Amino acid sequence: MSAQLQITNLQKRFGGLVAVNGVSFTLSPGEVVGLLGPNGSGKTTVMNMISGALPCDGGTVQVGGTDITRMKPHKVAKHGVARTFQLVRPLPTLNVAENVLLALAFGKKRHWGREARELVDQKLEFVGLAGRGEEKVGNLTYIDQKRLEMARALASEPDLLLLDEWLAGLNPSELRIGIDLVQHLQGQGMTVLLVEHIMEAVRALCSRCIVMSAGEKIAEGASAEVLRDPAVIKAYLGDDHA
Amino acid sequence: MLEHVVNGLVLGGTYALVAMGLTIQYGIARIMNLSFGDTIIAACFATYVLFTSLSISPILALLILVPSGYALSNVVYRVIMKPLVARAPDEGALEVDSILVTFGLLFVIQGILLYLFGGGYTSYSFFNTPINVLGTVVAGNRLLALVLSLMIGAALVIILFRTRWGMILRAVALAPKSAPLFGIDTDRAARTAFAIGGAIAATGGVVISMFQTFTATAGVVFTMKALIVVILGGKGSVPGAIVAGLLLGLVETFVAAYVDPGLTLAAVYTVFLLLLLVRPNGIFGKA
Amino acid sequence: MKTSYAFALAGAALVVLALAPMFIPEYWTGVLLGMTGYVTLATAWALFSGPTRYVSLATVAFFGVGAYTVAVLNEVMPYPLVLLCAAGIGMVMALVVGLSTLRLAGVYFVIFTFGLAELVRQTVSWWEVNVTYTMGRYVFLPFEGRHIYWQLLALAALTFLIAWAMGRSRIGLALKALGDDETVASHAGVDVTRIKLLLFVISSTIITLVGAIQAPRWTYIEPSIVFNPTVSFMTLIMALLGGAMRLWGPLVGAVPLFLLFEWLSVSFPDHFSIILGLLFILIVFVMPNGVLAKIDDLRKGGRA
Repeated sequence: MSAQLQITNLQKRFGGLVAVNGVSFTLSPGEVVGLLGPNGSGKTTVMNMISGALPCDGGTVQVGGTDITRMKPHKVAKHGVARTFQLVRPLPTLNVAENVLLALAFGKKRHWGREARELVDQKLEFVGLAGRGEEKVGNLTYIDQKRLEMARALASEPDLLLLDEWLAGLNPSELRIGIDLVQHLQGQGMTVLLVEHIMEAVRALCSRCIVMSAGEKIAEGASAEVLRDPAVIKAYLGDDHA
Repeated sequence: MLEHVVNGLVLGGTYALVAMGLTIQYGIARIMNLSFGDTIIAACFATYVLFTSLSISPILALLILVPSGYALSNVVYRVIMKPLVARAPDEGALEVDSILVTFGLLFVIQGILLYLFGGGYTSYSFFNTPINVLGTVVAGNRLLALVLSLMIGAALVIILFRTRWGMILRAVALAPKSAPLFGIDTDRAARTAFAIGGAIAATGGVVISMFQTFTATAGVVFTMKALIVVILGGKGSVPGAIVAGLLLGLVETFVAAYVDPGLTLAAVYTVFLLLLLVRPNGIFGKA
Repeated sequence: MKTSYAFALAGAALVVLALAPMFIPEYWTGVLLGMTGYVTLATAWALFSGPTRYVSLATVAFFGVGAYTVAVLNEVMPYPLVLLCAAGIGMVMALVVGLSTLRLAGVYFVIFTFGLAELVRQTVSWWEVNVTYTMGRYVFLPFEGRHIYWQLLALAALTFLIAWAMGRSRIGLALKALGDDETVASHAGVDVTRIKLLLFVISSTIITLVGAIQAPRWTYIEPSIVFNPTVSFMTLIMALLGGAMRLWGPLVGAVPLFLLFEWLSVSFPDHFSIILGLLFILIVFVMPNGVLAKIDDLRKGGRA
């Protein structure tokens, strides 16, 4: 079985700064993997290069065996990669249902009409927003905006989901709900790459972790082991728990 | 040939000067000012009136018109721009609002000029003595225009890069959101920047009127050229504006001399388009 | 149900408007003609610029190209073919402008369109003076005011139909989304550049056709007449007054403003542009989202 996501020797420079230097890793279908590292280590840059938001200076990105390295974001989305944004970005002119409908209409397949409306309801129900499709996004609470962000990403019907600190900023009970949602996706066989700072979530969700520091991959392996690795603690936890 | 180079540099010098004004307004005050060219034209007519009816030399007129440009722009910012800045939820909204409002302002200024002076070509003769430069003959007023542009441009660069005041303005340009955290009054900085822009437009008007004919409706073309210079040079970049301004002046003069004077705007647009394709962020712009 | 009523109502209004020239004096047919022209211009403008918030200042560039095409070609080919040519030229021009600017930030587009009318005007003038040696042309077409009016009315109806259908389509949804946040829209699978280009081309082609259809009204045409920047300005102010984000917004803005402008241009010919400018600034200040949105706000405010 081929890899769901294969990244080989990814490179990115911003002027003189090397943001990502020779990063490679692979995700098998159905895996939930954490991408960790201190702030500024290049995690979000990697996410942006996978999703097509940033052009790569070197290396390749393959999804399900197809090379998507030079694709624009909308093409990447049609190839089954969906993402959420670090800060939630609902579209204020559209209502809740339309936010989701957009991704259904332009995702992997072109859903429209009655069938699309049913799928919208289905996605909203999955994330816990059932019956709230007509609401304005401006009226949603923070957790509900996060839910909407997830529903929109799922509406593209992706094979690979990129969650960029999707759990950040939630209170403990909301965090529980969020973790349950991702576990539910995992149960359905979704492949997820998760950038996350919350260790509780990483331990609960990720069987495997990749750790970056200063643009390079410094560790990779089973979550429990990686989180014990002295190099990782020095680079990452050292920052957070100083 | 050399004559065209000198003339191109004169024209380019004035373009660079006025573009600096526009880039300061856009970069610091965040106002995309489409009535900028009409401010220049208003200053052209003011110089014309001062010179022909009151016999005040354009050089002295600078002393009157530059402070007036500053004061008037200051008032315009307080009355029209400030409420828009205050209500805009984000930079994009302010950009659209400022574009619309200054588009309206353009018609007001143009309407007033048309009412007062009509739509014909206007010019006056000042310091038209031929002067020998490097073997070619150039009109004295052109040379004077170049010298004035360079002096005022240099003064501006010194203010921006060598004074505390300039540092404050540049800080606001770079980080409008965090500047207040360092005790910078962004509202005042924006107002000052907008007013400086107005003063430079007035300077440009005085200088341009010394050697060019102008009409009440020519503001659009000046705004356009200044905008193109700003973009070619990279938004907010003063050295960029100087290089791009000189380049544009040379291109225009050469096209007028060797191709056809009617095609100068087309040539300017072509340069703009080509550069957008190759370097979307300008010659000195950051990626 | 609701849509079919609306359609019946719109159809009835269209019939009444089409029959109007039989019953009203010639002068008022002329007023209706001008008004229909601006309703179409404002609606077509809002079709693209409303949802995307890419403010196009080039309305008169396309309008003028349409009119000038008719002036040049009206004696060499049959009228329907002339219109087709005008539409084609407008389309190609929109493609060139769109392809070069729409993949960049909105401000480049604004700046480009800001000078476009002047560029086209100067280039056409240069062409006429140096290549064809004719400055100014005559349009001799056997049309009376009402013939032109009927053509414009048909174009207006078509424009509304396009705008209505767009609002209900995938493309309409994508357009609103990219107006909010281009990055999010593109990650949801929307090819933002292509959609912007498509809408800009449709909108510009309609605007070109308005110019082409109105050309016979002038009889004598030269660049400074058909490339008058006031056309861009009035279109913009009408769409903004009514609300560029709504289907009926431009219509609501265009009708009263057109009548006001008619009166102003007769009563204050010397101050017209000044009043226009001040009015425009006022509208941007008081009703940034248009009259219809303002009414909505007031109604909500009244209830709360």
